Amino acid sequence: MRIPPQLRIRFILLAGLAALLLGFLFMWSGLYSVAASRGHWAVTEWLLTFAMRNSVKTHAIGIEVPPLGNADLVTLGAAHFHSGCAYCHGAPGVPISPIARAMLPPPPDLATNMRPWRDRELFWIIKHGIKYTGMPAWSVQQRDDEVWALAAFLRRLPGLDAAQYRELALGGLAVPPQSGQSLATSETTAPAVGACARCHGAGDARPASALVPILHGQPAEFIVASLEAYASAQRASGIMQPVARALAGDDFRRVADYYAALQPPAALERPTDASAIARGRALAENGDPAALVPACAGCHGQEALKTYPRLAGQNLAYLLNRLRLWKNGLAPATATETIMAPIARALSDRQIEDVGAYYASVDAHAGARR
Amino acid sequence: MSEPSQARLAGHPNRLPRPKGELEALEAAWERPKGWRIVTAVNNTVVGYFYVGTAVLFFLLAGILALLMRLQLAVPSNTFLSPETYNQIFTMHGTVMMFLFAVPVVEAMGILLLPQMLGARDLPFPRLSAFAFWAYFVGGLIFFGTLFYDVAPSGGWFMYPPLTGAQYSPGLGADFWLLGIGFIEISAIAGAIELIVGVLRTRAPGMTLDRMPMFAWTMLIFAAMIAFAFPAVILATMLLELERAFGWPFFMPQKGGDALLWQHLFWFFGHPEVYIIFLPAAGMVSMIVPTMARTPLVGYRMIVVALIATGFFSFGLWVHHMFTTGIPALSLSFFSAASMAVAIPSGIQVFAWIATIAAGRMQLATPSLFVLGFLFIFTLGGLTGVMVAMVPFDWQVHDTYFVVAHFHYVLVGGMVFPLFGAFYYWAPAFSRRPLSERLGKVTFALMFVGFNVAFFPMHISGLMGMPRRVYTYPAVAEWGVLNMISTVGAFLFATGVLVFLLDLVRNLRPALSDPAGDVWKGASLEWMHNHVYGPRSVPLVTSRDPLWDQPGLSEQSKEGRHYLPGTVTGQRETIITSPIEAVPEALQRLPGDGWPPLLGAVFTAGFFMLLTVKYVMLAFVSGALALLMILVWMWSSDPAPLPRAEIGHGIKVSTYLSGPRSHSWWAMVVLLVVAGSLYLSFVFSYLFLWTVSPQVWPKPGQMPPSWWPILAATLLAASSGLILLAGRFLPSRNGVAFIGAIAVAVLLLGGSLGADVLSHWRAGLRPDADAHGALAYMASFLQFQLVLTLVVMAGFAIARSLAGMLNLRRRVVFDNLVLLWHYTVAQGLFGLLLVHGFPRIA
Amino acid sequence: MSGTLQSVLAPHGPQAGQIATLAWVLFAFGAVILALVIATIWLAIRGTPHIREALARERTIMVFGLALPVVTLTILLFCGVWLTRAQTGHTDDAMRIEVTGEQWWWRVVYDGPTPATSANEIRIPVGQPVDFTLKAADVIHSFWVPSLGGKVDMLPGRITRLRLTAERAGVYRGQCAEYCGGPHALMGFNVIAMPRDEYEAWFVREAGPSAAASTDVERRGQSLFMAAGCGTCHAVRGTGAAGAIGPDLTHLAARGSVGIDTLPLTADNVARFIRDGQHLKPGNRMPEFRIFSPAEQTALVSYLMSLR
Repeated sequence: MRIPPQLRIRFILLAGLAALLLGFLFMWSGLYSVAASRGHWAVTEWLLTFAMRNSVKTHAIGIEVPPLGNADLVTLGAAHFHSGCAYCHGAPGVPISPIARAMLPPPPDLATNMRPWRDRELFWIIKHGIKYTGMPAWSVQQRDDEVWALAAFLRRLPGLDAAQYRELALGGLAVPPQSGQSLATSETTAPAVGACARCHGAGDARPASALVPILHGQPAEFIVASLEAYASAQRASGIMQPVARALAGDDFRRVADYYAALQPPAALERPTDASAIARGRALAENGDPAALVPACAGCHGQEALKTYPRLAGQNLAYLLNRLRLWKNGLAPATATETIMAPIARALSDRQIEDVGAYYASVDAHAGARR
Repeated sequence: MSEPSQARLAGHPNRLPRPKGELEALEAAWERPKGWRIVTAVNNTVVGYFYVGTAVLFFLLAGILALLMRLQLAVPSNTFLSPETYNQIFTMHGTVMMFLFAVPVVEAMGILLLPQMLGARDLPFPRLSAFAFWAYFVGGLIFFGTLFYDVAPSGGWFMYPPLTGAQYSPGLGADFWLLGIGFIEISAIAGAIELIVGVLRTRAPGMTLDRMPMFAWTMLIFAAMIAFAFPAVILATMLLELERAFGWPFFMPQKGGDALLWQHLFWFFGHPEVYIIFLPAAGMVSMIVPTMARTPLVGYRMIVVALIATGFFSFGLWVHHMFTTGIPALSLSFFSAASMAVAIPSGIQVFAWIATIAAGRMQLATPSLFVLGFLFIFTLGGLTGVMVAMVPFDWQVHDTYFVVAHFHYVLVGGMVFPLFGAFYYWAPAFSRRPLSERLGKVTFALMFVGFNVAFFPMHISGLMGMPRRVYTYPAVAEWGVLNMISTVGAFLFATGVLVFLLDLVRNLRPALSDPAGDVWKGASLEWMHNHVYGPRSVPLVTSRDPLWDQPGLSEQSKEGRHYLPGTVTGQRETIITSPIEAVPEALQRLPGDGWPPLLGAVFTAGFFMLLTVKYVMLAFVSGALALLMILVWMWSSDPAPLPRAEIGHGIKVSTYLSGPRSHSWWAMVVLLVVAGSLYLSFVFSYLFLWTVSPQVWPKPGQMPPSWWPILAATLLAASSGLILLAGRFLPSRNGVAFIGAIAVAVLLLGGSLGADVLSHWRAGLRPDADAHGALAYMASFLQFQLVLTLVVMAGFAIARSLAGMLNLRRRVVFDNLVLLWHYTVAQGLFGLLLVHGFPRIA
Repeated sequence: MSGTLQSVLAPHGPQAGQIATLAWVLFAFGAVILALVIATIWLAIRGTPHIREALARERTIMVFGLALPVVTLTILLFCGVWLTRAQTGHTDDAMRIEVTGEQWWWRVVYDGPTPATSANEIRIPVGQPVDFTLKAADVIHSFWVPSLGGKVDMLPGRITRLRLTAERAGVYRGQCAEYCGGPHALMGFNVIAMPRDEYEAWFVREAGPSAAASTDVERRGQSLFMAAGCGTCHAVRGTGAAGAIGPDLTHLAARGSVGIDTLPLTADNVARFIRDGQHLKPGNRMPEFRIFSPAEQTALVSYLMSLR
């Protein structure tokens, strides 16, 4: 039978419409089961996995990978992994929660079973998450530096045993065994998930990673304001926002008072490039008026407002990372970021290094002079 | 058989009846591609249509931007647009109107109209005009698209550094402007070369320069002015882009640069630009007025002299855009005088038109109304022009709304009104139906009233102290009422344009053959029976107004009684005539339709745009593809000589010209003028920065030893000698000697450039250290561009020679290579003298 | 219009006056020529055959198109050249003020034994010729006070000069006339012409330091000013605040406006500019300071309003 071309087109159109309608009726009837308990058909499973793998590969093209071997990066990633990821994905010595195991698809145990993704693909998955799997996106999309920290840790993960993992993720923090009464009457979570000290150190211990700021001796007002900004999701950090959210009531004030009262920890190693330090010092004390850079000391010295951080003796890697984040376009959201971001943008790359070197080299006990 | 002499040009060159199948063969040769393949067409009518349409599209887009600005300014302290958006919009409005509408639309009208008007079948380089169009189309759309991605430039259409330098305009906006506009300028220059050679070499036999339609005169001067003026701004965009990308400090005062250098270069282009836009529009008026008044143009020769004078003077008054920069009073007075002098040729033209109107009986059709509107608005704009040429008055009104009003009176009055008149006038020549007289009159009324309501109050707001380029103004300034009136006027004007669009939709029925035709009873050749290939036979012209003075010409041409009534070779052809007397000299075979011009343009645009967004690898791939397309296209040019062709009864002409009689030689000479003009702009920049910052120039002791430049010069001279020698080898069968000579010459040329760069580097000179270093390397950079071109051309010549397509007779490829070669060597020698010699004597 | 003047056609100084006269001459000239052209076009279309025949000759072009413009333009040119010379001549009896255009404000330095720095407002004595030395710190700006005279560009790396004289006491508004990016539209300033004795009294105060903070609230404000880092960008002579990046605030409260001419000077507006500057003048170089509690803000503003 020969169908004239116009009719053929009409036939195809009508058939397509009918198929759409049937599909809609099927959905409407509710016969399709969305139960996670039933699993996918094998063919669906294969199709979804196929689509997911290729989607990740394609979207990750063109992402530039920074060096991931850096210990600071790995340590920071490990700490976040412990509180953010281990519940579903497990870790050496930390089994996957049975609740998470009942998800569809069940989250892979990353300690033992990680597909050979490329670095950039790992980064893409961590940053964007995966639809229909329960894998969430990084809660703050502007902080690629944090995402890379986690990716760096994942590269280290397969080789770790339980003790090494604990050391890395808990930052050497000793968690005392809880008494029976305490276990019975207070919240129990994975050991020390919420402890500030895992990353920031405590007592006379420095932060485990130089990418993490030293809070010892910072004004309590500054710490409280920062925690509030994280908790209200104003200040961008996928690592700090959940931590700050978990604190309640007077917690901010108490933890801030604790750190404010601490003596700055002893320095491990200080920058040594004397000429960079000298240039940084000149910049800190006099600014660079031609480039519209005011003197850093005006706001970061000892007499400055207590909502401003003190920079003397701060970790170099943290200082550089923070300034570069602004310079590379991180939109300022909090009241103090609004003040600082344009200044960071006015700094040249060289000036950022210089001024970082200067502040990291200052002995915090003496305090930065005005 | 001798060349046809002037004496033989009388009467009808051909006899009737014409052989069977002649017309069919002609139509087959010129058949245009069907369906969507129309984009591969290179014929001037098709490309002209696309070109005009695209230019009108940009007029509408930039017009919408203007309406947005008027909305923002309607009331004080308005927040309709953010400052950053407003700054992008006014920058884009100016840039798009000047670079993507005004110049292209005029060029487009030339490409569309000139062959018909000159009695040619097509322009001499159809693929070049197709390339120019597509480059403009793709580049223009991408450039406009930056607005939607918030990466549009926001430095104002004249892009003054240091505001547009890397420090104060980070981001891609300024780069899009510099690379995008630089690229579109190159397209404009390609078009200009086409138009110059077209007007001078493809006129109908007998159409001497003195009989040429005034529009052709204006297009000739227009194109020549482009060739001289645009290189200055191309150089300026190169300098600023190099400064932005690599820190070569041409405009940074801290390192010996100077912000005023940009202003000199920009306005050396920018002022002639105004006349570049105005002259062709005046040419259109000079065509419309005689037809509407039914009488020949009064003062033809005076108008020609006035046009040439305008073109000449317009290069001498760029400084009148810089009266407020603190320039010494003596130069101010000189440029003030020049600015006033340029008003005189315009006065001559205005009164020539008035005299013509008086000589005939003006028919008040829509085109006449637009001409009358033009006369009023342009005269007013000219008078305010005289006012701003008065230095003290300019100190007050410079950069205010007074100036905004002035240049809109000059540009909209001087160009848009004639252009709309031209649309109504020439539509019947390209459409099966003329446009509506009723809608046309409504359009005119709305545009005329709207324009004056919008722009006249701006004179007053400017005098009341309102600076231009402000995104808002406080209520205390009392500019609110005037601005509201301007906004209302702008929307009236826009309504007029809308009615025009409605008219286009209702009545414009594009026809490449058999259009509505001579509804106005015009005098020039475009009103003959025209087809996609122009007239059936190319008429013998004996008068300035051939259709009035040579009764029956149109019918004779249609019957095939004039030149070239068919196709001799079965291909597309046109007649090449001598530049002054228009004596037929040769039959030029024209290329057919094809993809290379379109793809070449797309890839060239791709090269520039990818470079802008810093996809360097992809950019070079795109650039290589563009080069490939251009080589494919060039390979099929320069067809082999054939026996002499008969274009009229017993009249035979050559089918191949070389040397100075070749149209290709003329095109190369125009290109050399462009290159020379670019280099002169560079020399000016060098000397100008020296006068500003002599302290960054090296002492003779810090210069590279003098044997370096001597070595470089020797290599240059030797390469020129080898090229001369290669010419001697051309006749011989020994291709090896020819190829060897060219190859060695290329090596010498490259070696000379390398020696020069090396000498600077070894002397410790760095391009980003100071202005002198930047200029020294810039000389090499300019030289490098030519050397690169020569390398490609030399390779091409060698390939042609190996393929047996280059010999003593078929030698145009080699002739062009030689021309450019000697020019490059001359420029290189001059550059060595300047860069190595000048610091020693200064 | 609150007594401010910003118009070419309301001249209050000899320089502006000459140009205004020239402007009226030019307008008259333009009106006559335009009328002539319209009349000839009318005659060319509707005139009697006799008139039209007379017009339709090349002589028309020679007379109206060539001879008339040559004569009139030559006369105008001589007027223009004479006036240009008259306005660019400089003598030594003038006082000097240096003005630097910066994105998007004006730094003003009064010449004297100890140069006095101010911003965004210029005071001059009536009848006294003033030579402005004009500079640019970043991009090109243009210094223009329409009621006093023409404009001159401020170019980075160059120094330009302009002489102005105010004939009557009053407030003359000026504005940047060369597009300088961002909030160029809001880069205004006032020139205040005062009788000589008032000016001299004012200048003595201006050249000195500001009064010390006298109340508790003001002193609290001052310590906030220092602790919040205001002094790293702004100078208050006589205190530790010596920043050179932003406008000098030594006598802020004696000026007429805040936020570079965007708001009249009131305590409320000072507070608004500190908190909301990016909305009042989008793109300006001062970040918004939203870190102060209401009490702190009151103290800070009290201090600033005490800087007379």
